[in-house]
Amino acid sequence: MPKTEYLQGALAMLILQTLQLGPNHGWGIRERIRQVSRETLGVSQGSLYPALHRLEAEGLLSSRMAPSENNRNARIYTLTAAGRNRLLSETNDWREFSLAIQRVLAGG
Amino acid sequence: MTPLTRLRAILQRRRVARELDDELRFHVEMETQANLTRGLSPAEARRQAMASFGGTVQTSEAVRDVRAVPFESLWHDMRYAARTLGASPGFTLTAAGMLALGIGITSAMFTIVDALVLRPVPFSDAEQLAHLWMGTDRGGRTLVSPAVVDAWREIGVFEGVESATSRTVLVESGSVVVERALANVTPGVFDMLGGAQPVRGRLFDAGEGSPGQTDRVLIAESLWRSLYGADDGLIGRSIAVDDEQLTVVGILPDAFRFPSSETALWRPTHLRSDGELARAYVRFRADVTRDDAVRVATGAAQAADAANADLRIWIYPLVSGNDDYLEQAVPLLAGGVVLAFVVLCANVCGLLLARLTARRREFGMRAALGAGRGRLMRQAFVENALLGAMGVGLGVGLAWLLVAGARGILPQPLLTQTLNALDLDPRALVVTSLAGLAATLGAGLLPAWLGTRVDPNTSLQVVDRGATEARGVVAVSRGLLVVEVALACTLLVGATLLARSFVNLTRADRGIDTENVMTLWLNIRDAASDDTARTLLMQSLEGEFREIPDVREVAWSYGLPPGGGIISFGDWTSDRPGASPVYMEIDRYMISPEFFSLYRIPLIRGRAFTPSDPGTNVIVSERLAETLWGSVSPLGRTFRFEEETFLVVGLTGDIRYPSIDADLDRPEFYHAYTPEGTPMVSLRCGAVCPDSATIRHRLAATHPDVAVQDAGPADRRYAAELARPRAAAGLAAAFAIVALTAAAGGLFSVLSYTVGRRRREFGIRAAMGASPAQIQRQVFRLGLAVTVVGLAAGSLLAMLLTRSLATLQYGVTTSDPASLGIVVGIIAVTTLAAVWRPARLAARVDPMLLLRED
Repeated sequence: MPKTEYLQGALAMLILQTLQLGPNHGWGIRERIRQVSRETLGVSQGSLYPALHRLEAEGLLSSRMAPSENNRNARIYTLTAAGRNRLLSETNDWREFSLAIQRVLAGG
Repeated sequence: MTPLTRLRAILQRRRVARELDDELRFHVEMETQANLTRGLSPAEARRQAMASFGGTVQTSEAVRDVRAVPFESLWHDMRYAARTLGASPGFTLTAAGMLALGIGITSAMFTIVDALVLRPVPFSDAEQLAHLWMGTDRGGRTLVSPAVVDAWREIGVFEGVESATSRTVLVESGSVVVERALANVTPGVFDMLGGAQPVRGRLFDAGEGSPGQTDRVLIAESLWRSLYGADDGLIGRSIAVDDEQLTVVGILPDAFRFPSSETALWRPTHLRSDGELARAYVRFRADVTRDDAVRVATGAAQAADAANADLRIWIYPLVSGNDDYLEQAVPLLAGGVVLAFVVLCANVCGLLLARLTARRREFGMRAALGAGRGRLMRQAFVENALLGAMGVGLGVGLAWLLVAGARGILPQPLLTQTLNALDLDPRALVVTSLAGLAATLGAGLLPAWLGTRVDPNTSLQVVDRGATEARGVVAVSRGLLVVEVALACTLLVGATLLARSFVNLTRADRGIDTENVMTLWLNIRDAASDDTARTLLMQSLEGEFREIPDVREVAWSYGLPPGGGIISFGDWTSDRPGASPVYMEIDRYMISPEFFSLYRIPLIRGRAFTPSDPGTNVIVSERLAETLWGSVSPLGRTFRFEEETFLVVGLTGDIRYPSIDADLDRPEFYHAYTPEGTPMVSLRCGAVCPDSATIRHRLAATHPDVAVQDAGPADRRYAAELARPRAAAGLAAAFAIVALTAAAGGLFSVLSYTVGRRRREFGIRAAMGASPAQIQRQVFRLGLAVTVVGLAAGSLLAMLLTRSLATLQYGVTTSDPASLGIVVGIIAVTTLAAVWRPARLAARVDPMLLLRED
C-alpha cells in the first residue's frame, strides 16, 4: 500500500514540524496543521492518534498527561531530540523530492 | 517500541487504556468548543464533533494496535471479538444456538446408538459369551434342564456354563413395597462374565445356592439407595423379598446389568430344586472352534435330556442385538441426525456468509487504516473461534441434558435392549465439536479472506456504493440453502413415513379390547394333584378376584393374544374331501368361557365352551376357518394336526397383531381351559384396575401358596409393539423439525440480509414506478428458486432413503404419494413463512428515506 505509507510518512513529518513550535495535544496539533495549511490539509483522528502513538513508541515524541484549559486530562506531546533529528532529515528528503518534482513539471 | 514502553503497556494496561480514553474524549470536547465558537448550537456542535471524530472505538483500536504486544493483542482480539459478537446478539445467539443444537443432538444420538448397537456388552472378552438353547430350525424353548448344564460343564469346550433366570418380586422395606426383577443365578456367573465388582460387600461364594444357602441376595446400587437410603449397615442384614427373608451379601453397581438391564436383585441357585430350569449362558474357549464346541455340546445335550433328541443348539451371542428392528432403525436414525447436523452446520455457514458484506466493509475499512492482512485474519479467526466455542459449550450442556433425559424420552423397550449404562460419549462430543468448529471457522474466515484481498481503495468504493457482493459468495450461500432445503425435505419424508406407519399401527383393528383389562400370572407352589382340588382352588381364587372393588369380569387362560398362546407350526388338514395339508403357524389359547366376553371378541357362530368340552373341542377364528374350509360353515367339522383331530364347536372374529413384523400376525383357535400349571388371570375393571400390591396382599392372606407374577395392563404387549415405532417416528420427526426450522431460518436470514443490502435498488425501483407487489414478487422468486431446487434434490434423496425404510413401515408403501404431498405442503408453507417478512420489508422501502440517508 504505497499510497498509504507515503501519506503516513508525510503525516509524521507534519506532526514533528508542528511540535517543533512547542508541546501540544492531539487536537491542537490537528488544528494547527489545518490552519497553517490554510484548510487544505485535514487529518482524520483515525490517522492522527495511531500516528502520534507510533511516533512515541519509536521514541521521536514523549508525552505526559496534564490537566488542560477545560480541566480535562489531556495528553501533551513533546518533541524529543531523536524527533528533532528525524524532522531535519525528513524535511531535507522532502525538499529534494518536491524540488525534483517541480523541475520535472517545469521541464514538461 | 522501546522495552520500557512495552513493559509499561503490559504492567499498566488499565491505566494506559484510561489515558487513551481521556485523550480521545478531550479531543471531542475541544472539537465541540470550536464548533460552539463557530456559532453552532450546543447540540449540533457536539453532534458534528462526534461525526468528524468517526468511530471512537476504531481509533482506540488502531492506537492500541500500535502500542500492543503480541500477548496483549491476542487478549485484545478476544475482547474485540466478544464486543463484535455482543453487538449483534441476535446473530450470535442464532449461530451459536444452531451449532449447539447440532453438537448436542448428534452427540446424544451417537451415545445412544453406541450403547444400543455398536458397543459390545460391558464384559471382558464379551464376544466369547453367548446364551445357548435347544430348538428346531424354527425355534424352541430358551430354557434347558439342569442336566444339560451339568453335561456342558463336563465336556470341556466351554470355559464356563452358568444360568440366570428372571422373575419379578415384591421387595418390602417398612411400609414401602416395590416390584423389581430378580435373577436366580448360579454363583459362578459373575466370574464367567468378568468385570463385576461389588460397591459394598462381596459376590456369591461357590457354595451359596446349594440347599440351605439360598437365602442370600445381592442388590443393585439403585435399589440400595432408593429403598434403604444407601445404608452401609445393610450388608449382613436381611430384607423381605416376596415374603421371604434374604440376607444381603453385597451391592452391585448400576453399571452391572445382567441378565437384563432391569435386574435389581440376584439370588444364588444350584439348579437343584424340583422342576427348576436353567437359562444357560456360556463362555466359549478361545482354543476350541465354535463348530467343534457346538457339535460336542449338541451331543452332550441330547445324551443328557431325551427331549433334545431331534433338536439343535441355538446361539445368541451377548454382543449382537439379535433384534432386527433395532439394527435397522437405530443406524437410520443416526443417519437422520447426521443429516440434521449437516443442515445446522450449513446454516451457521450461511449465516456467517450473509454477514459478509457488512464484514467486508469493516475489514476493508480497517485495511485502509493500515491493518495488515495477517492481523485481520487472526482477528477473524479469534472471533469465529469464540463463536464456535460458545456453540460447543452450549452443545456439550445440551448433549448432557439429552442423554440424562434419554430415559424419559426413549421407551423402555428401546433401553432394555442394552446391557450398557448410558453415559455421554466423549468421542462423539469431540468429533461433533470439531466438525462444528471447522464449519464456523471455515465460513467465518472466508469473509476475512475476501475482505482483505481487495485493496483498501476499491473496498472503500464498494462500501460507498453499499450494494454488490462477490458473486462466488452469493453462489455459495444459495448452494448452502439448497442443501439445507433438500436435506430437510429428505428428513421430513422419512419422518412422515415413520409417523404414518405409527398412526396406522395404533389405528389397526386388533379384534380384541384390552382397555381397562389387567392380567397377572399365578404361580401355585404346592399344586394339588387331582383335578377336583385344582378346580376348587381356581373357584376360590376367582371368588377372591371378584371381591376386589371395581373388578367386573374374571377370565382364565394360558397366555393372551397377541402372541401369548402356544405356537404350533406344521401341516394342518381339514376334513374337506380331498383336502391337502396346509402349512401354517397358529396360536392356540386355552381359555375359560368368560374370556370372549371379557375381551369383547365376537362369537360369530356356534357356542362358547362348557365344562364338559374335551380338549379336542375347539373354537376357531374366521381366518383359520376360511383357510381350511373356505366359505363353508366350520361348525361340526374336524381338522387334523399331527396325531390330533379337533372338532369345531364355535367360530369367532379374528385377533390381529398389528406389528411391523408381519410374521407375528397368526391365525388362532381356542381350547377349553383346564386348571393346571401356571395360569393367567384377566380382570376387566370398571374405572381403575387395582394395583398389583393390592392383589398380592389380598391373596397373601387367603392363599399363601399362590404367588402373583407380572401383573399389569393387558395391552402391555401392544404398547411394547408400539413403543419402538413411536420412538422412531418421534425422533425422526424431531430431527426433521430441527432441520426444517434451520432451513427456514437460514432462508429467512439470508433473504433479510439480501433485502437489507438491496434497499437502495428497491428504493430506486419504487421511485421509478415499480409497485410494492412487483418488488415483493421479486423477493419471493428468490426464495422460490431455492425451495424448488432443494425440493427436487430432496425428493430424489428421499426416494433412495425410503427403500431402506421399507422394513420399518406398516400400512404405507415406500413411494407413498400422501406422505410426499404432506412434505411438499409443509416445506411450501414454511418457505412462504420465511420469505414473507423480507418480501414485505423490500416492498415497504421508502425511496425518500434512502435519498436522505446519503
